[in-house]
Amino acid sequence: MNNIVRFVLDNKIVEIDFFKKQELKPTTTVLNYLRSYPEHKGVKEGCAEGDCGACTIVVAELDKNEKLVYKTLDSCLVFLPMIHGKQLITVENLAIEGTKEKILHPVQQLMVETNGSQCGYCTPGIIMSLFGLYKNHNNPSREIIEDALTGNLCRCTGYQSIIEAAQKACTVKGKDHFSEKEKDVVKMLKNIAENKESLVLSTENQKYFKPFSLEEALIIRLENPDAIIINGSTDVALRQTKKNEHFAKILDISGVEELKTFYEDKDCYVFGSGISIEQVKNFSKETLPALYKMLSVFGSLQIRNIATIGGNAGSASPIGDTLPLLFAYGAKLKLTSGAGDRVIEIEDFIKGYRQTDLGNDELIKEIIIPKTDNSTKINSFKISKRKDLDISTVSGAFKLKLEQENVSEIILAYGGMAATTKRAVNTEKFLTGKKWSKKNVEEAMNIVAEEFTPLSDARSEAEFRTIAAKNLLMKFYIEN
Amino acid sequence: MNNIIHHDSATKHVTGESVYINDMLVNNNMLLGKVVFSKHAHAKIKKIDFSEALKTKGVHAILTSVDIPGKNQMGPIVHDEFCLATDEVTFIGQAVALIAAESKEALLIAEQLIKIDYEPLEAILDIETAIAKNNLIAPPRKIERGDPETAMNKAPHIIKGELKTGGQEHWYLETQTALAVPREGKDIIIYASSQNPSETQAIVSEVLGVAKNEVEVEVKRMGGGFGGKETQGNHVAAWAALLANFTRCPVKIHLFRDDDQIMTGKRHRYFSKYEIGFDDNGKILAYKVELNADAGSSTDLSMSILERATLHADNAYFLPNVRIIGKAWKTNLPSNTAYRGFGGPQGIAVIENAIDRIAIFLKKDPAEIRYTNFYQHEKNNTTPYGETVENNRLFLMYDKIIESSEYFKRRKEIEKFNDENEFYKKGIALTPVKFGISFTTSFLNQAGALVNIYNDGTVLVNHGGTEMGQGLHTKMLQIASAELGISPDKIKVNATNTSKVPNTSPTAASSGSDINGMAVKNAIDILKSRISEVAVAEFEKLYPSDKTLKENIVFENDFIFDKQNPSNKISFEDIVKIAHFKQVSLSSTGFYKTPGIYFDREKGVGVPFFYFSFGMSVSEVMIDTLTGRHTLLRTDIIQDVGDSLNEDIDRGQIEGGFIQGVGWVTTEELKWDKKGNLLTHSPDTYKIPTVNDIPKDFRVELLKNVPNPGTIRKSKAVGEPPFMLAFSVWFAIKDAISAVGNHKIEPEFSLPATYEVILLCSEKLKKK
Repeated sequence: MNNIVRFVLDNKIVEIDFFKKQELKPTTTVLNYLRSYPEHKGVKEGCAEGDCGACTIVVAELDKNEKLVYKTLDSCLVFLPMIHGKQLITVENLAIEGTKEKILHPVQQLMVETNGSQCGYCTPGIIMSLFGLYKNHNNPSREIIEDALTGNLCRCTGYQSIIEAAQKACTVKGKDHFSEKEKDVVKMLKNIAENKESLVLSTENQKYFKPFSLEEALIIRLENPDAIIINGSTDVALRQTKKNEHFAKILDISGVEELKTFYEDKDCYVFGSGISIEQVKNFSKETLPALYKMLSVFGSLQIRNIATIGGNAGSASPIGDTLPLLFAYGAKLKLTSGAGDRVIEIEDFIKGYRQTDLGNDELIKEIIIPKTDNSTKINSFKISKRKDLDISTVSGAFKLKLEQENVSEIILAYGGMAATTKRAVNTEKFLTGKKWSKKNVEEAMNIVAEEFTPLSDARSEAEFRTIAAKNLLMKFYIEN
Repeated sequence: MNNIIHHDSATKHVTGESVYINDMLVNNNMLLGKVVFSKHAHAKIKKIDFSEALKTKGVHAILTSVDIPGKNQMGPIVHDEFCLATDEVTFIGQAVALIAAESKEALLIAEQLIKIDYEPLEAILDIETAIAKNNLIAPPRKIERGDPETAMNKAPHIIKGELKTGGQEHWYLETQTALAVPREGKDIIIYASSQNPSETQAIVSEVLGVAKNEVEVEVKRMGGGFGGKETQGNHVAAWAALLANFTRCPVKIHLFRDDDQIMTGKRHRYFSKYEIGFDDNGKILAYKVELNADAGSSTDLSMSILERATLHADNAYFLPNVRIIGKAWKTNLPSNTAYRGFGGPQGIAVIENAIDRIAIFLKKDPAEIRYTNFYQHEKNNTTPYGETVENNRLFLMYDKIIESSEYFKRRKEIEKFNDENEFYKKGIALTPVKFGISFTTSFLNQAGALVNIYNDGTVLVNHGGTEMGQGLHTKMLQIASAELGISPDKIKVNATNTSKVPNTSPTAASSGSDINGMAVKNAIDILKSRISEVAVAEFEKLYPSDKTLKENIVFENDFIFDKQNPSNKISFEDIVKIAHFKQVSLSSTGFYKTPGIYFDREKGVGVPFFYFSFGMSVSEVMIDTLTGRHTLLRTDIIQDVGDSLNEDIDRGQIEGGFIQGVGWVTTEELKWDKKGNLLTHSPDTYKIPTVNDIPKDFRVELLKNVPNPGTIRKSKAVGEPPFMLAFSVWFAIKDAISAVGNHKIEPEFSLPATYEVILLCSEKLKKK
């Protein structure tokens, strides 16, 4: 049985046997693991919920061509087995020993020179985000820099100096001492990957499964229907870090490669459920602009790098960012179990507040998004207290098909207005067959207001939600 | 002076080597501490039962108020704040019990097992209720000049109104943290994240019932402060000290983010009422304002903050007839506390809004009304409390920024844009800041230093100020380097320690570099005098033909030389060795007190400020009236920092302070439920600015050639003033909303201008 988590840290393979290392459990976060060592206290906890980025680390993993891909992650949300088979890079790894003094990595050197640090507490996380940027982009635009830093809160600097550091540092196509050691790292990672047996990690009161094939995953799922399914764990991890919930059983499907495929069919795009939101975002840039628009304001890069489209759909949250869009696109899910596959409409899949039709032997395999013709417009809108790195207060994803000037089909899907993602069916009925005009849209807005009875909470009062929901329809009208 | 020098910890910050308290390892006996806090805004504690909790494996102690060996008190000025609640709790988040255990898990298990029986009592959760119940925390404050009643009655126009300004969570990246290590006997050392180590020392000595000379407090650095660690850092230190004293083990408390947000005080929210009388040109004839602060459950610094609010009710404007009333109200919320600006923003907000309304009323540009009312140079240049506004930079800055920002040209472009767009509206605003520098409690304007020169020629500077990221230690290092004439790499600035420099004032009121810089200079002057005497004797020996006078000795470029005969020189390192052999002390304290300032609180008159800091900004925004989203398109800032001690650091303070202000006036919203639970208690719902929220075009300029007389190297304070430049963003948003109704109807507005405020205001105007 494979019961040892292995990853590369400080240029060597680290092995964790949870049976022997009693102070750790499988769901110990990478943040807490690192901070238990005096030599890795650079990484900081600022919020333990992926909202501040002080704990940002970089993970390098092998892609299909056996090249290393560098990704920033919030280590407060990552369980140790999730970095199995990967290289963990921390702020301590960036500078190298020189003859007299340390030689700083370019991103560190520029942060010193631009005075990008003040109190210094967010700085290790910022450095790691800049390092991720450095490895992935050459001469990045302001937009790319901002996107790379959205997940890192700094309360001192006002960010201007950090942007300047990013602009000045990322000019040499990511070359650094990591490039020189890549071969050795690849070798170590391949070595770890040779063992394809599922990881089964048992401690006194926790059992953690990490299969590496869909077949194995489905067997574990069948035998352990009570195990919580995670992939990026950006939602589930919070229950541990913030609510101190204990997970007795976990099924981690992040190692299942079959779930990470994407392909374009004649009439649809098919996303494996394990594809990260960031990858979906990149795929959708040209093909599904409404989805791209929504994913551009989805969490932060650290979150998008690990959160998956399957997870976002499967969590069935009323404020999940992708769900209204999946409604608008008329997406379908392919669910799979040992007994075979079945396809279900997204609207039938969502059963209630965080409830789905997923059978206790099933996993989400694919998200199928139909292609649309030129007469169909789809757009999405997200309203949140702060533009970026925020959960939506109200979101809307709308589909419109016109025949001449009349509405032949319309879907108005809202998030944040009810216990689930919900369509404004009366408004849809009202508009169907009518002329797509400002006057009719204005009338329809009043129907939207009557269709929902939203909540008041920390994000906004109900009145705001109602008005915002109405207005999104007008936005859809003017932006088409 | 060497102006291009980076933060003295920059390299440690970027490599992750800089040590914060939560990173410190003392020994394997270290325990973790946790605070068990009240879940009721107001309740009687009937019974606390922790017998089961104490049995938890790994738990070493559970303490309640009866276990406090000294006084159960941690109020900094007024002694009205319990260290641990006794028989009553007065806010959600109030400490009731403390746990020390070997692990976080044990702490959590024990906490669940502690049973506290409460009997809920009626709670006051807002200022309006506190006013209705006449629940003042202290007698009101008043500043009055001229005859505001008569002048108001005679004024051609009068505008009355109310304004609410919200609180603000500090959101320092490092939550409140302290590590207490017991030593032999009663001695204890506290590693604190505190802006006020001497106050931390005082509170710890009080709760432990030991003398101050038995308590040592050390502050290496804070992961952000912003006022949030001026008094609130004392609390966590006192709790850690109690647990350490009891268990005789080192105890560390590091608050979890949500707990920190729930438990600690914030910027005071204010509810203000005003009346302003003015003539046809918008000239202010009379101003009456009542500033009502939500103090929270205890006094803390509320009265000092209120005092600064009343002293800034004028902002940059001459008010011939004026009455300023300040009242602080007691509520069942965490005691509100210091936050960058310290009441200044709350006082300034009201007059700025009144002026904005005058402009709307007279259909004039608000910038012109501001200009019309600026303090003048020769006459109309005294504040309501009688201090003369000297070295007034307002007109200079106004001319500069109107031109550099192309204010009037852009105003026209914005009007055109607004005519052409139904759902998007733009707005622009110019706002000034005049900010008084000095503690308004005059005796606090003192600082100490201890400078040690070692016989290898290196120097260790100790001073009373603390480093929270603002670059104070770097500036002190630069000052020491310039005054001693030696290179910065020979100098280190030590962690702030109460055993090195005693009885210090908090690092607050933007005063850090002003007063500590002078104290460091004073210590160095003493040392230079001693070394100069040694040098004179040495030069007489080496160069017997030249007569060297002590006053001609110059310290420069790591050498000491005779100004009359520059070739007669000796290296700093050598002269220090010689001085040591000649039994001359190479260590000196330094001291400074700000001269000539006083304030009579009873009469509301005085010269509370050593000088004023000036700044001005112009911001342009665009709002989406369908969603309430605002975008900050451009901001221009001019700030007066005198002769800058360090331009890069000052720029960082200006940009950072401004953006923190932008958060306060836009997205940062504190919201409580009906029982007094903070709803926005994590970054999930409490939204500080991200990198995307800064102006798309951000231009910051330091005003040049404006040396400030009488301060260290002619510099000016920079910590707080830029915060208030963010009003330009708030008024630009107001201007944009006002465009929804073609500037015919005034928007009802409050601060912060969240998406909710923007959307609801816009909707109302659309309907009208």
